[in-house]
Amino acid sequence: MSLTYNQEFKDPKISKALVARIREKSTRPLRLMEVCGTHTMAIFRYGIRSVLPDTITLLSGPGCPVCVTAQKDIDAYVMLARRSDVILTTFGDLMKVPGSGASLAAEKAKGADVRMVYSIFDALAIAKENPNREVVFCAVGFETTTPTIAGAVLTAKAQGVDNFSIYSANKLTPPALAALMETDGVEIDGFILPGHVSVITGLDAFAPTFEKYRIPSVVTGFEPVDILKAVLKLVEQNESNAPRLVNAYTRAVADAGNPKARVIMGQVFEKADALWRGIGTIPNSGMVLRESFYKFDAARKFDLSIPDTREPTGCDCGRILMGLKRPDQCRLYKKACTPMHPVGPCMVSSEGACAAFYKYSR
Amino acid sequence: MNDNDTILLDHGAGGKVSHAMFSELILPLFDNGLLAKQDDGAVFEVPAGRMAFSTDSYTVDPIFFPGGDIGELAVNGTVNDVAMCGAAPLYISVGLIIEEGMKVFDLKRILQSMAGAAKKAGVRIVTGDTKVVPRGKVDKIFINTSGIGLLPVGVNVSGNGARPGDKVIVSGTIADHGVTILSEREGLKFDSDVKSDSAPLNHMVKAVLESGHPVHVLRDPTRGGLGTTLNEIAVQSTVGIRLFENRLPVRGPVRGICELLGFDPLYLANEGKLIAIVPGTNANKVLDIIRQDEFGKDAVIIGEVTDQDPGRVVLETLIGGTRIVDMLTGEQLPRIC
Ligand code: SF4
Repeated sequence: MSLTYNQEFKDPKISKALVARIREKSTRPLRLMEVCGTHTMAIFRYGIRSVLPDTITLLSGPGCPVCVTAQKDIDAYVMLARRSDVILTTFGDLMKVPGSGASLAAEKAKGADVRMVYSIFDALAIAKENPNREVVFCAVGFETTTPTIAGAVLTAKAQGVDNFSIYSANKLTPPALAALMETDGVEIDGFILPGHVSVITGLDAFAPTFEKYRIPSVVTGFEPVDILKAVLKLVEQNESNAPRLVNAYTRAVADAGNPKARVIMGQVFEKADALWRGIGTIPNSGMVLRESFYKFDAARKFDLSIPDTREPTGCDCGRILMGLKRPDQCRLYKKACTPMHPVGPCMVSSEGACAAFYKYSR
Repeated sequence: MNDNDTILLDHGAGGKVSHAMFSELILPLFDNGLLAKQDDGAVFEVPAGRMAFSTDSYTVDPIFFPGGDIGELAVNGTVNDVAMCGAAPLYISVGLIIEEGMKVFDLKRILQSMAGAAKKAGVRIVTGDTKVVPRGKVDKIFINTSGIGLLPVGVNVSGNGARPGDKVIVSGTIADHGVTILSEREGLKFDSDVKSDSAPLNHMVKAVLESGHPVHVLRDPTRGGLGTTLNEIAVQSTVGIRLFENRLPVRGPVRGICELLGFDPLYLANEGKLIAIVPGTNANKVLDIIRQDEFGKDAVIIGEVTDQDPGRVVLETLIGGTRIVDMLTGEQLPRIC
C-alpha cells in the first residue's frame, strides 16, 4: 500500500483565499448537503463550518454506510454471529451498531466468533484456513466497496471456496438522492457529491438525478481545499441561478468512472429495493447477489427469518440523514445517546453526523 | 534452560523448576545485588523526603513489534509514570504472568529487553514474581511493573498545575506507537518504516527539572493519546487548552495510515513522549533542554493554556477554523470506506 499525503489540498493560504471568496459571493442563505460520511468527518475535523459565513448551512446526508444499514440487517448479522458454525467477519465500524437488541461487539464479548477485517479478502483467507466452518462477511457499503466484494465472490467461486458467503446490505447512492428530493420538507440548494463513490460510478451516474431536479451538484475530494472549492462552486451556481453537475475531483474521478469495476459489480450483483435505516425502502437502491451466486448468499444458506423491527423510540437518525434536523435537535442527543451508548447508528460510526457533532462541537 | 524449551506449569509452581528458571534465566539478566539476595522483598536505604510510587500492567498484542516489545514497554512505562510525577525512578518490581507453552526463547528476549530498558533508564529491578497459568488463561504474557522514585526538593508537578499563559510542549512526534501496534495486530502491510516510540523519559525530566525552570504539568500521553491526556489536564486544572494543528508533529507515514483508516492521531497511544506545560516566559528554554535529549529532538510547542472554555481543548485547524478535541470515547475502530 502506498501512502500519499496531499499537502497542497490542505494548504492554509489556498483555504483562506477560498473562504474569502465564498464570503464575498454568498448573499443568500443556502442549505448544502454533503452526501458522504467521509466528507462529514472532514468538515468537522478541519473546522470548516466555523470558517463559513452564516449564509451557509452544511447538512449531513445519507452517505455513511453504517448509518443507513437497516436495523433488520444488523439483527441478521447478530443471528449469524450467534451460530457456533459461523465465523462472522466485518469491518470495524459496524461492530458497535445496535440492532434491535444486541450489537456485534456485545455478541463477541459473549463469546461469538466475530472477527474484524480490513478487506473482504481477509475474510476469504479465513474461510480457507477454516474449512470446517462457514465464514460470513457482513457486506455493507456503497459503490466504493461493492466492486471489491464482487471481486471476492468471483474469487471464491473460481477457487471453489464453498464455506464462504456474504450477507449483502450494499447500497447505491444516486437512488437515495432522488428519494431525498421526493421527500416532503427536504430543502437542499446543493449537493457536495462523494468523491470515492464517484471514482467508480463516474459523474454520469448522477446525471439523471441532476437533470430531473436541477440541483447544483459538485463531486469533490476530502481535503479542506477540495471541500471549500465545492462550496464556492455551489454558491456561485446558486447566485447565478445556473445549476450544473461539476467534477471538481478530476485528479481521481473520470466522468465515466471506472467501467471495469462496474462490470465486475454487475456480474455478481443486481439491483433490488433496499431498506435504509431511518429513511425506509428506496426502490432499486440495493445490491443483491445474482442467482448464479446464490451459494454465496448467507441469507439463503442459513434461511434466516428475521422479524420486522422497530426503530428505537426518539431516534431522529432518519430526519438527520435527510437534512431535516440537526443532531443536537434530537432529544436523545448527549442524553440517552452518546458514543459510549449509541442509540442510533449516526452516533456509532465515526462518520455519522451525530458522532461528529458530539466529538467536534460544543 | 534451553531456548527451544517451552514454559510449563511447573515453572511457576515454586519448586525446583521455578527456582532453576529464576536463577538460570532471570537473575543473570536483571543482575543486581538486591535481587540476588532472593528475599521476599527488597530492602534498601532511602533519604528523607518525598517519594513517587506507580504501578501498571501490560497486556499488549502482539508482544513483539517494530521498535520494541512488551518487556521494554513495561519497564519504560513505569519509569515514565514515576518520572511524570517529577521523581527520579530508582527501583522497579516485575510480576510476570506467563501462559503455559511459551517458548523460553521468547521469554528470554522479553527479559533481555527489560534488562536493557532498566539499564538505559538507570533503574534496578529489585523484586518480582513469576506465575505460569494454563494455556488460554492469559494471552502469552502479561507483565506488571511497579516503580519507586525520589522527588527532588521543591519539585511540584501535577495535572492540576496548568495556568493561563502557559505553553504546551510535546517532546516529539505523536501516534507512532498506536499506529505500529494497530498495523501489526491487524496484519496491515504498509510499506513504511513506522515503529513504536517506546523510550525512557526520566533523563529528559531530570534535565528539565534540574535546570530550575518552573514546570507546572508533566504527563506521558499513552493510551487515549495526546487528545485525551490534554482533556484530563484541562479538567484537572480548570483551564482551556488551545492547540495549533499546523504545529502538531505527526510523521508522514503515520498521518497517511491514519487518514486511510479514519483514525485521529490525537487519540493514538504514545510510549515515549511527554507533555510539559510550563510558564510562557520560559517555554523556549525548556524546549531547548528537551531537544537536547536523544528522545526529545522533535519537541515543539503545540499550544497554550487559556482562561477560555475551562475544561476544554480546542484545536485551531490548518485552515484557521476551530474544533473541539474531546476525550476519546471507547476504542477507535477503522472505517469502512
Ligand atoms: S442523537 Fe442518537 S438517537 Fe438521536 S438521531 Fe443521533 S444517533 Fe439517533
